[in-house]
Amino acid sequence: MTMASEAAFEAFFRDVGEAIGADNLDRSTETLTRYGENTMPAGDRRPTGVVFPGSTDEVSIVVRLANKHGVPLYPTSTGFNQGLGTRSAPAAGMAVIDLGKRMNRILEVDETMGYAAVEPGVSFQAMADELQRRGGQWMVSTTTGPPQGGMLGNAMDKGAGYGPYFDHFGFSCGMEVVLGTGEVIRTGDGSIDHDVGELFNWHVSKYSFGPILDGLFAQSNYGIVTRLGIWLLPRPPAIRSFHFTFPDDDDLEAIIDLCRPLKLTNFVPTLFRVSNDLYLIASEETHPDYAATGGKAAISDEARKALQNKHGLGSWTVSGAFFGPSMEAIEPQIKRVQDHFGASGKATYIDHTDALAMPPLKCAIDAFSGVPTTQELGMLKWRPGGGNAWFTPGTPMDGKTANEFQKLGRAIYEANGLDYTIMNVCGPRFARGLHVLTFNREDPDESARAAAAYTELADAFAARGVHVGRSPIDFYGYHMEKAMPAFREACEAIKRALDPRGVIAPGKYGIG
Amino acid sequence: MQTAFTPRQLKDPGIAEAAAILKDCVHYGFCTAVCPTWVLLRDENDGPRGRIDLIKAMLETEGRPDAKTVRHIDQCLSCNACMTTCAAKVDYLHLADVARIHIERHFKRPLPDRALRALIAAVVPNAGRFRRAMTMAGLARPFARVLPGRLGDLIRIAPRRLPPASPIGPGIYPAEGERRMRVALLAGCAQQALAPHVNEATVRLLTRHGCEVVIAQTPCCGALTLHMGKERRALAAARASVEAWSAIAADGGLDAVVVNASGCGTTVKDYGHLLRGDALGERAAQISALARDVSEVLFEIGLNEPDTIRPLTVAYHDACSLQHAQLITAPPRALLQTAGYRVVDVPEKHFCCGSAGTYNMLQPQIAGDLGARKARHIESTGAAAVAAGNLGCLTQIGLHSALPAVHTVELLDWATGGPMPPALEGVAIPDPQDADMANAAEAGGDGPVGIW
Repeated sequence: MTMASEAAFEAFFRDVGEAIGADNLDRSTETLTRYGENTMPAGDRRPTGVVFPGSTDEVSIVVRLANKHGVPLYPTSTGFNQGLGTRSAPAAGMAVIDLGKRMNRILEVDETMGYAAVEPGVSFQAMADELQRRGGQWMVSTTTGPPQGGMLGNAMDKGAGYGPYFDHFGFSCGMEVVLGTGEVIRTGDGSIDHDVGELFNWHVSKYSFGPILDGLFAQSNYGIVTRLGIWLLPRPPAIRSFHFTFPDDDDLEAIIDLCRPLKLTNFVPTLFRVSNDLYLIASEETHPDYAATGGKAAISDEARKALQNKHGLGSWTVSGAFFGPSMEAIEPQIKRVQDHFGASGKATYIDHTDALAMPPLKCAIDAFSGVPTTQELGMLKWRPGGGNAWFTPGTPMDGKTANEFQKLGRAIYEANGLDYTIMNVCGPRFARGLHVLTFNREDPDESARAAAAYTELADAFAARGVHVGRSPIDFYGYHMEKAMPAFREACEAIKRALDPRGVIAPGKYGIG
Repeated sequence: MQTAFTPRQLKDPGIAEAAAILKDCVHYGFCTAVCPTWVLLRDENDGPRGRIDLIKAMLETEGRPDAKTVRHIDQCLSCNACMTTCAAKVDYLHLADVARIHIERHFKRPLPDRALRALIAAVVPNAGRFRRAMTMAGLARPFARVLPGRLGDLIRIAPRRLPPASPIGPGIYPAEGERRMRVALLAGCAQQALAPHVNEATVRLLTRHGCEVVIAQTPCCGALTLHMGKERRALAAARASVEAWSAIAADGGLDAVVVNASGCGTTVKDYGHLLRGDALGERAAQISALARDVSEVLFEIGLNEPDTIRPLTVAYHDACSLQHAQLITAPPRALLQTAGYRVVDVPEKHFCCGSAGTYNMLQPQIAGDLGARKARHIESTGAAAVAAGNLGCLTQIGLHSALPAVHTVELLDWATGGPMPPALEGVAIPDPQDADMANAAEAGGDGPVGIW
């Protein structure tokens, strides 16, 4: 959309203040500075104002006013989209709708059916606390990102956890959405025209009459989701983890081939976290050669090996967990995976008790157990200066392919003087490769190298037919350009249908 | 974060320290979402990131700090939840100390504020004065409503009854059986007046577990005055403590300085930093290295087999000074479980209860809101009692909840041969056999929502 005039923005904020209260609007300098901050190479993007609606009706009012004045809106939930833009809009000058400040209610917890309905501001920590308060019978699937990150926003952005309910969008059910016109719809069984009494199946049945619209609202291009049903997992009495560490970079090929059958049969109920050395160690350390090299060189193999030895971890470490009635009852499954990985001749086993004393592996145990954790955030200080961007391609669960992708990615990091940091989150057929780019954002040269590394990675993987799952705000358009033209046009056509004035997050993920 | 201090400013050790800390902050903002005052007030300047910016501006700008900055820094609990969340590992604890000392030196507070702070600084760190003040507060309680401002608030939060003075005082308490450790115990200040039974339980527990306990004549550890920015008094207290414990170490050796009030423990563990550059700096560092929370020492020694299993359900409250400053969360829980208690976590356990040293005296509104919130969460667990390792927390929780609040050491002492904690008088204690049956059912793995 074309950016509205200054007068249009002024009129919009005046009308919003009158409609939902001037207290629910903030245009102070310090607030605008904060909301524009991110960790990207391309810098901060200051909005023109921040609006705090308190209900779906108020969101609808704000969207209608944005239509009236032609003002672009950028919705955020809790604003912790770490490494992908935090809560900054892709472009400066938008009006932010912060849904986290006032719409942070857990609307419903059904302890019979095992679901919760939440507003956008409900964090993983808040839900974990609430489930604990209710007696701890249920657990939430949590990420290893910030505990205060939003469940709804994470699900809508196709985020994931590590347990059986890891697919946060897939395990959501039933939405309330404010469309780009300001109209409000419910999806799934909630779409029945029934405003009196309960909507019994809204949050228990994903597929109802009519097309399955929910997927359209992933990535938040076509509407603002103000309520989401999220399925909960009964908490098992015992969760026992297992870990295997491998010495060499090229062991990834064997690891992936070892993990695949365990997931195809669902013998292991969690995903596998296949993390490289730096992904685990960076949270406990800083780059040892940073001062000596001025940050211009990737960590040396010798320094990597020294850190591996210090932490008792090899080039790759595999983590998974079993659920069961007691720790003892899980013993046969543990023995089975020990034999399975042991057959490789290269795996060193780390048991659950020892792993609890190793912070990077304790983090994995927390992740499998639905316990929000801050441990992994420590990797952001591997290099100084606060720069951080995540590149998220994937690989089929074929060892040879995964290892080829490893070599490809590692070479690009090293060529740009950056440190290859990755976790492959492995299911039965696919692993998402969470590539972490940590860089000194206060150093223009290093920042430029991070941006270059990112686009080289994107180009190299795209050349092999591999897309990304999510994207940092700097590269929304870059990735969308790699989609086939007819796909792009289809996305734009849906945008025109549901958000004809293009007020909802224009430019997000390269749409609108 | 870039700073703009002049070379002249950086000659001030406090400014130099702050400058180094400020450089680490990159504004991720994880700290903000876990900050209790930000959660309550939703003001950027009432979260750590905003306060860090305010401190930076205050220190860079010479002259009198502005009242707005002082208000936002005063409203910081120093709970350090921001530090355990911070990805960049910003040393907010010491930055806040620098800021408070700067304010104390350069900002003239309104007279009632100055008077209140002077009163607290003179009375609370002195056990004798504090006890007399509490007695007077009891007499003045009927008039609390008509007393001006904060004075009325102070009287309202004072305990209704003071326990009798304790026989535990300076001296040597020999180990029972073979001596395994020789430890100095910080007797504390307010704790001696408000809850002398905590020190009594600690001495019984430690001696029963083979520790010779030495209690020296030490003043307040300095934490209370340090957090009010009164550096000179804090340093004097720290020096006196270091000298006293160093003398004990020189005369018979010392394996640990044991602290049973975790707010104090955090400061004692920081003596090396506090007195760096001081004539006592080296000895202060040695004392810091010896300083241990009582739960750390007992966890290391290993708890005796409990005399009687009393399967009381206990909500364990993590004092901020233990979980965020000293990073001690597992040992107290493990000890309580070993002692036979059923330990449950408190929802929102990362959140401060509002006690925070003198905070509930200086910021009664926010402290009250946090206390009520914490009490609701504790009571939601259905526990029969709440345990914590810091008297300030126990006192604050007691203001907002009728649930018995006991120190961890009282429960451990009771389980291994000591008397029942006074707060548990009248509480129904579950029968161990009933608890065994419940545990057996639980161990089968079946519950109302899952079959395993």
